[in-house]
Amino acid sequence: MSAPATPRAIAWSRRGATLAESWRVYRRDRGGLVGLALLVVIVALAVLAPVLTDGSGLNVTRVDAAPLQPPSASHWLGTDESGRSVLLLTWWGARMSLVIGLAAAALSVVIGTVVGVLAAHFGGWTSTLLMRFTDFFLVLPALVLAIALSTVLTRGLGTIVLAIGVTSWPQTARLVRAQTLTVETRPYIERAKALGGGHRHVIGKHVLPAVLPLVFATTTLTVASAIIAESTLSFLGLGDPSRVSWGAMLKSAMDTGAVTAGAWWYLLPPGLGIAIVVLSFTLCGRALETVFNPRLRGVGA
Amino acid sequence: MGRKIVALLAASLMVALVPAVATATAAPAAAQQDGDQGATLRVGLQQEFDSLNPFLGFSLASTQVFKLIYPTLTTYAAEDFGVVPDLATEWKHSRDELTWTFTIRRGVKWSDGEPVTAHDVAYTFNRMMTDPAAATANGNYVDNFAAVTAPDDRTVVIRTEKPQATMLSLAIPIVPEHVWSKIDDVADFANQRMPIVGSGPFVATEYRPQQSLTLKTDEDFWRGPAKIDELRFVNFENSDAAVQALRKGEIDVVRKLTPTQFDALAGASNIERVEGQGRRFFEVILNPGATNSAGTPIGTGHPALRDVRVRRAIDRAINREVLVERVLGGYGQLGGGYLPPIFADYHWTPPPRLKRPFDIPAANRALDAAGYLRGPDGTRRTPEGEPLNFEFVLHGDEPVDARVGEYLKGWLSRLGINVTLQPVSDNQVNERTTAGDFDMVISGWSANPDPDYVLRLQTCSARPTPGGGGLPDSFLCDRRYDDLYARQLAEFDHDKRVELVKQAQRRFHTQATGLILFYPNSLEAYRSDRFGDFTTQPADDGVITGQQSYWGYYQAEPTSKAIAGTGGTDYGTVALVLGVVIVLGGGVTGLVALRRRATAGDRE
Repeated sequence: MSAPATPRAIAWSRRGATLAESWRVYRRDRGGLVGLALLVVIVALAVLAPVLTDGSGLNVTRVDAAPLQPPSASHWLGTDESGRSVLLLTWWGARMSLVIGLAAAALSVVIGTVVGVLAAHFGGWTSTLLMRFTDFFLVLPALVLAIALSTVLTRGLGTIVLAIGVTSWPQTARLVRAQTLTVETRPYIERAKALGGGHRHVIGKHVLPAVLPLVFATTTLTVASAIIAESTLSFLGLGDPSRVSWGAMLKSAMDTGAVTAGAWWYLLPPGLGIAIVVLSFTLCGRALETVFNPRLRGVGA
Repeated sequence: MGRKIVALLAASLMVALVPAVATATAAPAAAQQDGDQGATLRVGLQQEFDSLNPFLGFSLASTQVFKLIYPTLTTYAAEDFGVVPDLATEWKHSRDELTWTFTIRRGVKWSDGEPVTAHDVAYTFNRMMTDPAAATANGNYVDNFAAVTAPDDRTVVIRTEKPQATMLSLAIPIVPEHVWSKIDDVADFANQRMPIVGSGPFVATEYRPQQSLTLKTDEDFWRGPAKIDELRFVNFENSDAAVQALRKGEIDVVRKLTPTQFDALAGASNIERVEGQGRRFFEVILNPGATNSAGTPIGTGHPALRDVRVRRAIDRAINREVLVERVLGGYGQLGGGYLPPIFADYHWTPPPRLKRPFDIPAANRALDAAGYLRGPDGTRRTPEGEPLNFEFVLHGDEPVDARVGEYLKGWLSRLGINVTLQPVSDNQVNERTTAGDFDMVISGWSANPDPDYVLRLQTCSARPTPGGGGLPDSFLCDRRYDDLYARQLAEFDHDKRVELVKQAQRRFHTQATGLILFYPNSLEAYRSDRFGDFTTQPADDGVITGQQSYWGYYQAEPTSKAIAGTGGTDYGTVALVLGVVIVLGGGVTGLVALRRRATAGDRE
């Protein structure tokens, strides 16, 4: 303690310590580690797809392999009904699923956090109004609403993100509101208020930092459900027709009659892709929850 | 507390599943009872009935049913599409070809026992001439009618304004006057009160929207009753489900198979495949600047597509061989003239001089020469500077549309044209086509043996009225085409008419508003253990379903197995699957309950 420590420096060193401690706890969750490792690999592959593979193989007018061929040396996962490599489609499909999953989850979490924090912080009629609004969305069947939205709007990436995002935020809002309520009862918030901290100061400096870890864990879980929602919408033919996604692959497999033809190599890769990515996100989300909520740690933690 | 809820849930799950098993096991008994009386022909459909009202319905599913339950004056032979008598036994026309007299068959009855008379025919035609709603589906046949009268019960006299060559192919379902005269608003009448009063080989007796339509054989049909007892159309959401149902013996005929399914069914036991020449053309419309019947421009068509040079260049960027080979799996014929080759006399193929073979460099040169130059981003622009970005509207539920869209998008990108695929619902496709709200759209029609119906779609008078409505196709509206159309309609010499029809197709081809990509073959399969050979139309390379008459269903030959009502579903498997589901479901619920208890213990 030779140099005079500024509050900022103290805050940063504390954050560093917390992070290290969190990582220590996280590491103990074997499932979380597996999920994280899988995600790192999948995200790296997806990001590097244009570098590692030739994207022109997705253009139906540029391929000449025979359609619906079983796996072979030249096409490790066989070909689709247009002669495109299923491996290449699955690879590029990961990009779409991840992008939509992350974007939709981000949108959903932002809406949910804003509504939740505002409702809990202001209380009174603001809370009543916002929470009834939330309840309204909570009881709407999300998938049906998403289908209706993507039917009405022009099809495309943005529409799917919007459709999933605006239908999946109510749970986050309720969770964040509950957490905000408990945080706001703590003495240091009261102190900040007594010292003249305005709404912006209390929410920005105290409430949000305390709530964000929980939000982060929720986001990870929301991504998983957003990816499933995206696949469902694409499977129903409501996806972005100009991009390859796992849901869209399953749809074309069904449309072609892959089931009748026994073309398992066309159905399995996108299905497994969805399962693995969703599982990874869920594992990570669970592990994060344990990190941020000590009460969830098992006996002997 | 938590445990109780879980237990309650598990119990209610069980309770909910038990009746399902009960009904599944009870079903075969009921099916067996039905089967005792005779054979049921079950046809899988992947299209819904747009309307059971014969004045409104124009989907293939609906028009097929109308042919089975309502009479027409004449019909088409199964053998070769020749005109044969149906409700009319004979006909003659005056020397000026303006007055036609039909003699109505004696002793034909409506299904409620009333006789079918010439007054019913006159009533039907007059209703279509005076009530615009009643002209929705088949208005083209009566546009040119001046008067229809029934001097007595057996005679119908039709006077036309101009000679009309389609007088022996009036595919208009005749409806009973004593029923329909009580209907004030045809547009709002669903015609779903069962049984539907009609007259034909079958009577519609039960309709479950989006599920099935059941028809009973009419024992009094004048040609004699059909050999089957019942005909049921069963709706399926997707074709794989229909194929699985065929394999399991839940249905007897399935239509509109994908090439993959058709290949996969080769050699399947008890299943016979039928590949028929299609009477449908598959077309891409390039919006040539849509106008309504008042000549006012409508819609959002791209200005570049008003230039015939651009439309022709686009045609040269389409490789039809690849489409037939890849999208149709070889089960189809290359597109050329407007009318499909199944109608050999009217079919026209562009001569070499007018052909536009696949050649992307040539298409690029043509666009350069026409002044549509590439911008810095590689996209071509009109001379006014508008980039060539086209919206391509497709049927979202049609796999073929999606695949054709992919190919066209790929080829046109090499011309410096950006295509955005817009798969939408069938209704939206129709709405946007009628409103001219597209740059490119996929269309296609099943042609009749008489080409008039589809030829008229390209005339100026097919354009929508300012208030909406109308059934336009490519908004061609070309004076020379309309002149050829009018002349073929008035031409009674078959050879001369054929020549005019071919000239009209040639004009349509050179204007390139609609690009005929291919004529898909019709792929069907049926249970050969339950039915013998079907009557196809035409006899060579014909189809069972979607005929231009009722032969396929009416002359179906059930085997003794079908009459005994066997060869149905294996309900044992269904029960087994359900049983497994219950056991698994119970197990999972139990496990969850245990886990819940454990974590609850930890928490407290």
